[in-house]
Amino acid sequence: MYKRQHQYAQAKTRLLVWNTFEALLTHDDKGGFLPWLASGYEVSPDGRTYTFTLRTDVTFSDGTKFDAAAVKANIDQLLAPNYAPGVAAVQLKNLDRVEVKDASTVVFQLKKPDVLLLDFVSSPQGAQISPKSLKEAKNLKAGGPELAGTGPFVMDRYTPGQEVHFTRNPAYNWAPANAGHSGPAYLDQITYRFLKESSVRVGALTSGQVQIVEGVPATDESLVSANPDLSLQRGLNSGSAYSYYFNTAHAPFDDVKVRQAFREALDVPAVLNGVYRNTATRAWSVIGPTSPFYDKSLEGTYGGDAAKANQLLDEAGWSTRDAEGFRTKDNKRLTVRLVQSAPFIRDRRDVLAQAIQAAVKQSAGIDVQVQLVDQGTATKALTDGAYELFDNSRADTDAGAALNLLLYSTGSINRTGYKSPELDKLLDAAVATTDQAERTELYRQLQKLVITDQALVAPLYAPQDQIAASKSVGGVGFEPTAGVPVDAYNLWLSK
Amino acid sequence: MITAILRRAGAGVLVLWAAATAAYLALLAAPGSTVDAIIGDGADTPGIRAQITSEWHLDRPAVVQYLDFLWRAAHGDLGRSYLLQRPVSDVIGSQLLPTVKLAAAAAVFGVLLALVLALVARRLTSTFGLVLVSTPPFLIGIVLLSVFSFRLGWFPVSGDRGFAALVLPAITMGLPIAGTLAQVLRDGLDRALDEPFAVTARARGLRESAVLTRHALKHALLPAVTMLGWSFGVLIGGTVIIEQVFGRPGLGQVTVQAVNASDLPVVLAVVILAAAVFVVINTVTDLAYLLIDPRLRRS
Repeated sequence: MYKRQHQYAQAKTRLLVWNTFEALLTHDDKGGFLPWLASGYEVSPDGRTYTFTLRTDVTFSDGTKFDAAAVKANIDQLLAPNYAPGVAAVQLKNLDRVEVKDASTVVFQLKKPDVLLLDFVSSPQGAQISPKSLKEAKNLKAGGPELAGTGPFVMDRYTPGQEVHFTRNPAYNWAPANAGHSGPAYLDQITYRFLKESSVRVGALTSGQVQIVEGVPATDESLVSANPDLSLQRGLNSGSAYSYYFNTAHAPFDDVKVRQAFREALDVPAVLNGVYRNTATRAWSVIGPTSPFYDKSLEGTYGGDAAKANQLLDEAGWSTRDAEGFRTKDNKRLTVRLVQSAPFIRDRRDVLAQAIQAAVKQSAGIDVQVQLVDQGTATKALTDGAYELFDNSRADTDAGAALNLLLYSTGSINRTGYKSPELDKLLDAAVATTDQAERTELYRQLQKLVITDQALVAPLYAPQDQIAASKSVGGVGFEPTAGVPVDAYNLWLSK
Repeated sequence: MITAILRRAGAGVLVLWAAATAAYLALLAAPGSTVDAIIGDGADTPGIRAQITSEWHLDRPAVVQYLDFLWRAAHGDLGRSYLLQRPVSDVIGSQLLPTVKLAAAAAVFGVLLALVLALVARRLTSTFGLVLVSTPPFLIGIVLLSVFSFRLGWFPVSGDRGFAALVLPAITMGLPIAGTLAQVLRDGLDRALDEPFAVTARARGLRESAVLTRHALKHALLPAVTMLGWSFGVLIGGTVIIEQVFGRPGLGQVTVQAVNASDLPVVLAVVILAAAVFVVINTVTDLAYLLIDPRLRRS
């Protein structure tokens, strides 16, 4: 909801950021990168020096010229104290220094090889803001119309809670090769309104008050598909699948058999259909199915076998049942707690949790306790280890970035408590090389370890975005790799 | 007279201080620290925590932070929003006008409708009022939108864009107020009409409508004004839902967002503002009593 670039935190806002701000590179649809503000890049054989050649014909909308000094100014700003500690500690953790070689060449020196740098310079956090804005903006961190970028539109009006308005940048002529066309954008102007109620969004669309909406829940889909003047598209997001992570630090999920049993007890397609009416895509791995690193061979290898679940629980010692039918061991019920933070609930994940609760109770006598709480309480529960299940999905364009946070022994959201040198080695090696095939092989080994051997994760579904649009609108679609709705550059309106 | 005003102002300041302190304590007692709230579900390392702590000076004892907050607030500085990274006065200032417009329009509509219901459609009032009071505003809003915006296209769905966009939200918000007010007014009118002066007025040959408007209404107004003052509180709470349904900017959205994110400076500012509004409205209500009822003026 907030219009921010360096401070960007939600994949949902990419479509707004890219209207005004641009990055050095952009993703293609095969896991590679295309030139954008940089005309090319080179990686040294040791993987520690990234040299970018920049376009020389780019100006920010405030008239400032885009050059190597601008790139350095942006990185310096990101590393400035109290500006973007998250970016400095995660995406730029391996950055040693940035050097301006000449006006159109900038060099990133790394402390150790890190291929995720390419993902960073293609991300909204790495988007380029005019050095003049960086110096003069009164509320730099808040973003908004006072920041100038190089993009095809200029944001000229922002009313928090209501709308944001963009006007075409007529001088724009540096779109990446996969943008659909070159030169300025087709639309003279575009307004994005924030309508938080899905039924109101769909009503505004069906009554012609807006031409395109993002976010159509399964319950409202029939309204769109029943209308011949409207079209509906779904795109799967990049990053990690929405999954339940097992806390292996204490009982009962310290036993791999109980973890496997939970996955067998859960008939994923049944709960997904119950909650999302056949619109959700089942996940089989911690990595989302659109990632080039996704291991398709995991599909169908586990899950949904109640008999096996019960057998595994018997073997693990949870062989008795109490009066309510829940399994017990030493007179202790097989209870697992899932703590969800209410402000961050989306996709009706609280309802999904209830469906899962009912499913595993019935099939294997597992007692899932769902706690829907405020952010502070949730953080406290996680810090105190007062949980057995942790739910999460991340929309990182390179799934490796998500895995580093979720699975590395010191990862900042490693909630499984599982620490293994083997896993760390795989994660390190997979970001130390730029060779796509080698990375794919390393992530295949990692998925085997995490999904098949250790059963650390119960993958549930691949997060998606929906766009419903009037058929008078063209150029509607999803970003390659990220899988989120595109910005307005290629949109057009038939009259 | 002057001492009365001073006493009133002193009490007002006390109310503001108490409200701010209560909110401060409530947020302090809530689980999780401010740093947790700022991090949200993002990346979390000791380095990031240290930076956030130093940026917002969270390493000082809670008492010092509280006194610092009071000192600054007394000088009109409400601090910066953790979440939105802007001065709180900007955040509130930009969202205040849409909320005031909505609340005022809803109050005017509510009062007019209540008067019409109580004076003209007296038989209907009871049932109609009950229906209005017991229907959730969320539902009223969605139904109004479906009919008048999606189907008939008379009004735009969203935003604070001129008068047309204000109509549906104001009606949605004004209807429950009208329901309650009309009930209170009708009760008052019924009681007044049973009084001897009503009989006298009728005996003088006044028409029933004149008896109602000239004599009974004045008596019925007193409880209704009390009710109206109270309903401003409902209005402030109600904006949250109305803004959500109609995609309007306003304080309601800001408040919910701030509470969810434990955005302390914004929450405190909203609480102080709401308390100030209540103090003013209560004062105005008390003054209105004096205008309506000459007996109170004498004492």
